[in-house]
Amino acid sequence: MGKHDDDPAWSDITPLPTSEGGPNPLAAIAYTEEYEDTMSYLRAVMASNGFSPRVLDLTEDLIDMNPAHYTVWLYRAQCLFALNSDLHVELERLNETALAHQKNYQIWHHRNLIVDKLDKCEGEQGFVQRMFVKDAKNYHVWCYRQWLVKRFGLWEKGELDFTEEMLREDIRNNSAWNHWWFVVNGREAEGVAGVTDPDSRAREINFTKDAIAKAPQNQSPWNYLRGIARKSGISLAHLKSFAEQHASLDRPGAVKSSFALDLLADILGKRRVATSKLVGRMICWR
Amino acid sequence: MTSSQENGDDTLDELLKDKARIEELSDDEDEDDSMTGPPFPGNHLKPRRKRKSKLHPQPQRKLLEIPPWIFDTNELFHNDVKTPSRNALDKTAAECLRFLTLLDIQGLPLNSHGLPHLRRKPHADFLRFFLGPLQTGFTAMDASRPWLFYWCLAGLSFLDVDVSDYKERLIETVRPLQNPGGGFGGGHGQYSHCACTYATVLALTAVGGLDVVDRKTMWQWLGTVKQDDGGFRMAVGAEEDIRGAYCAMTIITLLNLPLELPPDAPARKGGLTSFTDKLGEWVGRCQTYEGGIGGGPSNEVHGAYAFCALACLSILDAPHISIPKYLDIDALARWLASTQTTPEGGFAGRPNKLVDACYSHWVGACFALIEAALPGMKDGLWNKAALQTGPQGGMRDKPSARPDGYHTCYSLSGLSAAQNHYWYDSKSNTTDAGSGRLLAAFNWQAKRGTADELAVLKVDEEDVVALIHPVFVLRLEAVEAARRKFEAGGL
Repeated sequence: MGKHDDDPAWSDITPLPTSEGGPNPLAAIAYTEEYEDTMSYLRAVMASNGFSPRVLDLTEDLIDMNPAHYTVWLYRAQCLFALNSDLHVELERLNETALAHQKNYQIWHHRNLIVDKLDKCEGEQGFVQRMFVKDAKNYHVWCYRQWLVKRFGLWEKGELDFTEEMLREDIRNNSAWNHWWFVVNGREAEGVAGVTDPDSRAREINFTKDAIAKAPQNQSPWNYLRGIARKSGISLAHLKSFAEQHASLDRPGAVKSSFALDLLADILGKRRVATSKLVGRMICWR
Repeated sequence: MTSSQENGDDTLDELLKDKARIEELSDDEDEDDSMTGPPFPGNHLKPRRKRKSKLHPQPQRKLLEIPPWIFDTNELFHNDVKTPSRNALDKTAAECLRFLTLLDIQGLPLNSHGLPHLRRKPHADFLRFFLGPLQTGFTAMDASRPWLFYWCLAGLSFLDVDVSDYKERLIETVRPLQNPGGGFGGGHGQYSHCACTYATVLALTAVGGLDVVDRKTMWQWLGTVKQDDGGFRMAVGAEEDIRGAYCAMTIITLLNLPLELPPDAPARKGGLTSFTDKLGEWVGRCQTYEGGIGGGPSNEVHGAYAFCALACLSILDAPHISIPKYLDIDALARWLASTQTTPEGGFAGRPNKLVDACYSHWVGACFALIEAALPGMKDGLWNKAALQTGPQGGMRDKPSARPDGYHTCYSLSGLSAAQNHYWYDSKSNTTDAGSGRLLAAFNWQAKRGTADELAVLKVDEEDVVALIHPVFVLRLEAVEAARRKFEAGGL
């Protein structure tokens, strides 16, 4: 007997126990009685598409027991909207769950649904920042951040400052580099040019070169430079002298970055110039 | 560097001393990529240390001759600034290096080249364990049990274990997961989900049990997740990302479902009529400034999403047609090659992230697909000799991680990608005139690496993993059986 079986508030519901799938199911999990009981009631409620405060409690219990349960999250969102629940309360609850389960990502889609419905994003940027304290490269959190910027037009509301701060903490954080690109180039459909605009491009190239000067052996800004060149149709050859600053072919021992060599190889290869000097340098480097 | 390289052992010694120092310094550094959730079940499968060393007495060994890529770029650029990423990378390099150089062989039996054998039986036992009754701690997997079926059954088949014995049990197990409205959920009463359905259909294909699938309702359900913009949601009301695109097209093609959208599919209101409408363009929008592929437009590049993109496009048409049509192939090839890490030789999922064995599949399997689309590709884009295996009973992300079914399945697939040859037969038809089925994904051919190639990889014949389909990640003959089974099409 599970706890809902004895509860008069649930006496109108006939639970639907888990169908195990034959006498000898594969990878059968030994659920606790509480989990099995709660799932059985949720299954029954979902079968009749029931939305009520007690169903919200049921989904909350299940999420506590298994936050990776996508069905429960999706059903909970429907239930919250059907009941016109206070979504601020839901956000508060989500904050705790998100901080406790850093690797859970169902929660970010749920948050997205809630905040979209709320139509307000106060405090969201700040909360996202808290998530990055433990994992500054959390993929789903960065996706959520992009969605926030797009949905609420936060392009010029501190996004570049925030991203710069993330890069100051770790200049190799590729997620932050990707976000930087997104903030600079994400509004082309709205007619705001990114690196295709010469002024913006010059600024971006300088920013990237400064980053490379701090840590030449860092793939992220080198990828960023190539991205600028490709996007704005500039030949990589324009970057030759810069690449040589970090990988001089004339001064053995002065190679500071394998990515600079890589770029030089592409430039020289494209120009069909004899690359023996470069090859020689690379062999020596190896 | 050149002079010290001549005396490999001295360099190694220095390198290891240096590494030990880095390890000590970065003890507090905690790049946590480990999962909370299921407890580690494999302890009892590990042979006891003492007995093991008796079983495999280790004579005096020479350390592995060090190939050039072993030298960490950090050794060469040691003045570079330290950041949290750099410290985590150094720590991982240090923990891998002792295995890469064979300084520590974990008591494993060695093959004729002095590298650890692929130990089929312990790996198979490890995978079988996850198909048996699981403890309460596995409740965290309650919404992803189909993945256990797929990882374990596919992984066993990659090890040449006959999995057809599991057919009846699997069919009965997945019956309650199939929803009346079509598709499979993670468990009984759970919403149908593209990833759960993909894993279930693949597992059923591996054992020859596809009869249990209701193809008509599957087609109708897939119609509900196709989006106006061309992509697919993972479930009704769930997120749209590139996994959905790959999973949906895999299901449609293996089962030969009609490409035409069901009459009541919401995307019809947006003017779409086919599952493939705007799909290639949507995948193309996921390529970023770095050349790699994100989970959705403008999201960060990620190795697993690169595989989803390339495999999805390789279902839509011949890879040399569809990949260059929708992607900047040079930029993608360059990005893929750049994810191979030094000194470990495996792959990282993103720039400046850590090497992880599962990317031996997610990135490793990309090369067959993209090489088929690059004219005149002969030598291969990646350093195959770099891949390593070795842990006992199951495979793991990296030495400090615990083995699991996911990493075991995809490490085996990655090994197969390195050991064998896969190529696309561009003379075969890409569409079936009768049923309209997309045939490109069925035109792959494969053969085992030659004796000379295996010698270069330092692999014995008995260590070669089965031929694995580069798009569907199943044994080739299992894919062929599914192709034949649904040849007639219709519903």
